[in-house]
Amino acid sequence: MKRKNAISAVLAVAMLTAAILPGCSSGGDSGVTEIEILQYKPEAATYFDQVEEQFNASHDDIHLTISSPNDASTILRTRFIREDYPDIIGIGGDINYSYYVDADILADVSDYPGLADVKQSYLDILENLEITPKDGTYGVPYVANAAGILYNKDMFEEHGWEIPESWGELIDLCEEIKAEGILPFYFGFRDTWTCLAPWNSLAVDLAPADTCQRVNAGETTFSKEYVEVAEKCLELVSYGPEDPFAYGYNDACTAFANGESAMYPIGSYAVPQILSVNPEMNIDSFVTPGNDDASKNTLNSGVDLMFAVTAECENKEAAYEVLDFLMEDANIQAYIDDQNAVPCKDGDFDLAPMLDGMTSFIESGNMTDYQDHYYPSEMAADALIQTYLINKDADAFLKDFDTRWQRYNRDIIRAVQEYNEEHGTAE
Amino acid sequence: MKKVNDSKRTYMLITIPILALFVCFNTVPLIRGVIYSFTNFKGFGTYDFVGFRNYLDLFTDPRIGGSYLFTIKLAVVATILTNVISLLLALGLNSKIKGKTFLRAAYFVPNVLGALVVGYIFQYFFTYILPGLGDALGIDALGGSMLSNSKTAWIAIVIVCAWQSIAMNTIIYISGLQTVPEDVYEAGDLDGATGWKKFRYLTFPLIIPFFTINMVLCVKNFLMVFDQIMAMTKGGPEQSTESISYLIYNNGLSGGSFGYQSANAVVFFIVIVAISVAQMTISSKKEEQL
Repeated sequence: MKRKNAISAVLAVAMLTAAILPGCSSGGDSGVTEIEILQYKPEAATYFDQVEEQFNASHDDIHLTISSPNDASTILRTRFIREDYPDIIGIGGDINYSYYVDADILADVSDYPGLADVKQSYLDILENLEITPKDGTYGVPYVANAAGILYNKDMFEEHGWEIPESWGELIDLCEEIKAEGILPFYFGFRDTWTCLAPWNSLAVDLAPADTCQRVNAGETTFSKEYVEVAEKCLELVSYGPEDPFAYGYNDACTAFANGESAMYPIGSYAVPQILSVNPEMNIDSFVTPGNDDASKNTLNSGVDLMFAVTAECENKEAAYEVLDFLMEDANIQAYIDDQNAVPCKDGDFDLAPMLDGMTSFIESGNMTDYQDHYYPSEMAADALIQTYLINKDADAFLKDFDTRWQRYNRDIIRAVQEYNEEHGTAE
Repeated sequence: MKKVNDSKRTYMLITIPILALFVCFNTVPLIRGVIYSFTNFKGFGTYDFVGFRNYLDLFTDPRIGGSYLFTIKLAVVATILTNVISLLLALGLNSKIKGKTFLRAAYFVPNVLGALVVGYIFQYFFTYILPGLGDALGIDALGGSMLSNSKTAWIAIVIVCAWQSIAMNTIIYISGLQTVPEDVYEAGDLDGATGWKKFRYLTFPLIIPFFTINMVLCVKNFLMVFDQIMAMTKGGPEQSTESISYLIYNNGLSGGSFGYQSANAVVFFIVIVAISVAQMTISSKKEEQL
């Protein structure tokens, strides 16, 4: 009797589970290959809906689904943990990519012919993001972003202000703007991540590009490398609104759009939002001049979106066909028109007018990846920077940065140092 | 073998599937969480067992300490504030006043609104309206946004949390007050119990069970505060409003410290159980029966 009860209970549970969890169907019967892309930029959802539609209209043998959820990195993790991998993931070139490569989630795509058209500097950026050097290429860079300082072009022309090329010129310009009764910068530091925008664009100028790798290898500390970055970041903030921590990203975009400040240090991704407030606005941007020697300045640019094929993808050829479609010049042009992005592919593309001030850097390839692409997100470097900008204690901030770096990167540091012991320091 | 009678079997048939579901969706994940808390799991990929490293780290991590301090401070202050105000409201709404039904409904509205919506509305209020009001009235203390100052941001969160949970607590107190029979008051009247004395010696002892449930619910809800933080401050400024739940979500799911934050969650679970049990035992001793 008891046994029978137990069996019926087990059955009941099994039936319920089957009802709750719909099986992962592969739909392979009809001869159509299903390819699923999960990409992390919800703001580009309209573009990807179009791509999906066009692709499916022109391909009979492959059916493409693209989803663009909010908070995609959390969704990706929950899917990875269930071992339910999308065929292609669209992610940014940041520490998540490093983690995924390290966890062997991504497939080597070095046999993808389209890679030949991608600018070498972006492939190098991906290479540098690997925690320990690994053979092969694990992502196809699609577009890059560029961060510097956005400025109100009409306002600059009206007052005859010139674009600064060195730190001294920038500060002089700020003083000049202030003297006219206009606010030089706007900030939205209540949204902590925006603290990283001025920070990153100064850090590429003032700290070596491989700072984070060298810290992991135990060769230097942030207390040594970031002193000038911290100092100059604070100086920039002094030209902002009285209480920058009261406003969020949306507030800052709105204020800049309404002409409340002459400049806004943020990435090109903010432009669509600013234009939605003031469609008539004439926005351009320039590279943050962190050094007094203009030739040492470099553009802060990283891989904003890449496509990576997962190791579990069953039909790599179909995935490559989808990638080919995405990499067609017309589609890339449509994306960069929509999102003001910088293409990673070689070729003649029309860049958005708000990137005019940066074109010389983009064309000459004078670009350096964001330092924060190496920061683990749980370390909350943005919150540390926010804390520093509020209490202005640089020594305590840098010390804290070093301590937390060691805490949150312990496993990475161990892996790097083990690798270096085995292979000798290559760099 | 003893013969199981029919009604017993029916109860078993009802209970076992539910128990199985509970184990499947509650106990098993809990146990897996405990197992993950001994690993350096990032949320995906491979992982190693690291023994008690995560637990030892918890006690040396100033950020975890800060989040516990903030959460407990918030829970204590918000619980007191909520219970005092909602008890006063309930006393008022239970008396014979005009438009009682309308007022009861009106005071319940905050509970119907989503915490995120309320959070966003209050964020606007604290950023623009309150400082504007302060400027207009010449009160310097209100001049800056409460949310941008690490000394005042937690107070803003307390206000929003309390504002929203007062609704439910008031309803619970009102239903409690209605269980107090009229003849007790009549008897009290004869003995000269009026005003404060009437409340202190008659009403309050009789609604202690409702007080208990409100305290436990409040403390538990406020310890697990999440939506309001997400909507209003995202843990800032200066990480001063990072609640424990927020930290677990943010670092464990969005960040790569799944294992470490699992350990945090296990400790937090034990803390909540301990607090709830303590509350129940203390207040059940004070309950009066008619």
